[in-house]
Amino acid sequence: MISLDKALLTVDATRRRAIGQILLLAAGFFVLVAISTTSVILVNQSRKDNGWVVHTVQVENQMNALLLEVHRAESATRGFLLTSEPRFRTEYETAAAAVVADVNKLKSLTGDNPVQIENVKRLQQPIDGRLKEFAQAIDFVNRKDTAGGIAVMREAVAHNLTQRMSDVVEDMRVEEGRLFAQRTGTADRTQQLASIVTVAGSGLVIALAAISILLVRRSSRARDDAEARLRDSNLNLEATVDERTADLREANDEIQRFAYIVSHDLRSPLVNIMGFTSELEQLRGEIFRRIAKLDHAGAPLAPADGGEVEPLLEGEDRQLSQDFAEALGFIKSSIGKMDRLISAILNLTREGRREFHPVKIDTRELIEGIVATVAHQASEAQAQIRIEPLPDIVSDRLAIEQIFSNLIDNALKYLKPGVPGDITIHARTKLGFAIFEIADNGRGIDPKDHQRIFDLFRRAGIQDRPGQGIGLAHVRALVRRLGGTMSVASELHHGSTFTITLPISWAASKRNGNT
Amino acid sequence: MSKPVTIIMVEDDEGHARLIERNIRRSGVNNDIKPFTNGTEAVNYLFGSDGTGVCHKGNALLILLDLNLPDMTGIEILRRVKENQYLKCAPVVILTTTDDSHEIKRCYELGCNVYITKPVNYESFANAIRQLGLFFSVIQVPQATK
Repeated sequence: MISLDKALLTVDATRRRAIGQILLLAAGFFVLVAISTTSVILVNQSRKDNGWVVHTVQVENQMNALLLEVHRAESATRGFLLTSEPRFRTEYETAAAAVVADVNKLKSLTGDNPVQIENVKRLQQPIDGRLKEFAQAIDFVNRKDTAGGIAVMREAVAHNLTQRMSDVVEDMRVEEGRLFAQRTGTADRTQQLASIVTVAGSGLVIALAAISILLVRRSSRARDDAEARLRDSNLNLEATVDERTADLREANDEIQRFAYIVSHDLRSPLVNIMGFTSELEQLRGEIFRRIAKLDHAGAPLAPADGGEVEPLLEGEDRQLSQDFAEALGFIKSSIGKMDRLISAILNLTREGRREFHPVKIDTRELIEGIVATVAHQASEAQAQIRIEPLPDIVSDRLAIEQIFSNLIDNALKYLKPGVPGDITIHARTKLGFAIFEIADNGRGIDPKDHQRIFDLFRRAGIQDRPGQGIGLAHVRALVRRLGGTMSVASELHHGSTFTITLPISWAASKRNGNT
Repeated sequence: MSKPVTIIMVEDDEGHARLIERNIRRSGVNNDIKPFTNGTEAVNYLFGSDGTGVCHKGNALLILLDLNLPDMTGIEILRRVKENQYLKCAPVVILTTTDDSHEIKRCYELGCNVYITKPVNYESFANAIRQLGLFFSVIQVPQATK
């Protein structure tokens, strides 16, 4: 029971460990997915943030470009005023166009920021003003009034448009600077977050892997332990089996010796009992002859050596003599019976001590030989014996002969009176064993006696046949020694089938000398 | 003229001894029969106080031996008799209940002259002993020499 509990516990633990493994794997998978998703989101976020940073820089660039173009327009205008060369006018026109384009571009770039939209609107006015002044100055020069142009330009200084423009641009710069700082900060944070998530996720995955490895190692250690225990218990089991086998062998030897000695020692007094009974018988003859002689004083006597004195006696004497003879008869028949039993035990022990020699046996030929020896009994009982094809086996020839001859003998002995006997012997092979069946249509055996018939000195059914109840006990002992088993299937009045299972190839070394 | 043969009978069962003696007598053998019921006494008689058997020098002995004795096995006595220079020529008849073939073989190997299994059937037993008696009356037994 203890080992069973332990086994159950182990099974439970194993199941728990397996579930733990699955959970760990699932958790690891989840963490990986989460890290991947978060990473993708954060990378996207970071790209966006960087985009905004770039955008800020672009806006600043654009502002610088705008101012540059305004200054270029101014320079070109001044150049035209001074030299009236059309080269400068063309320069001015290009710059003015660029200023308009740049303003529009700036407008579109800052469309996302209400503060900058306002600033751009504020910027629009001074720029427009400046461009108008330039245009007026150019116009004056075109009309050959250079002085007027110069005056316009001088006047313009008083308008302070350039200053306002610079102020607005400065405001915008400040705003963009603020945005730049803010956006850079956001981008940094996002990147930081991304790296934190990655590091944390990796750490978690590594931790899970470590736990998993730990669990795997623990489970493999548990398995190794279990294997070692199993090996140990196997070894123990084998040792125990060997020990028990040795014990049994010893006990069996002891019983054999005991049976041998007992039967032997029982025989000795039996010789005395028998001997002196015979002596008594002779004395009886002597005594009654003398009585007869006294009764028939002078009458002629029967020959002195004859045991029969009864015809010479009369009345009570005759009765006495008969009682005497009867008592002696019972004693002698009992002694005879006892002697047969003792002989049987002796034979059994001798059989038990005999060494078996496995040889190849043509089973069919062997059984045909047995059948030939009982042919006379068979014809008397009007019985036919059928032998079906039988497998050859390797076993002890004498033992096999005794087994089959006992069984066939029994089958013939216990046929149903008045019914022609039909005895079949057939066999099949299975897993290295030959299974022989000896079936008859005889009187059968009551199922309650099936065990009893294999016991020594026990018989079953109507006791109308001579026998000591040894045959089947002997047969079973032989079958066991040959590494086989034997059983009976029978019902009263419906015949019997004895089944003998013997190894097809019996190796003597396995069991020889242990009985 | 040689001395008459003395029959040494070693038999632990007094009933058997009596039956054997009776039947030997019935066959007409009148020689002296010395019964012993255990091995020690028989050995003491056979080998004498000095254990050499010299006391039987010049005697003609015939030994009837049972194998199952209370204090030693008949085989032991047989071995010692056959190894003794004075007794080795004395015929030894094993008369026992054992009919084990190993035992029989062993006894003949050790030099027993006749091995008889006691039949339980008294008719056969009496018959066997009477025939043995007849056998005794015809065989020549040498004297212990040297």
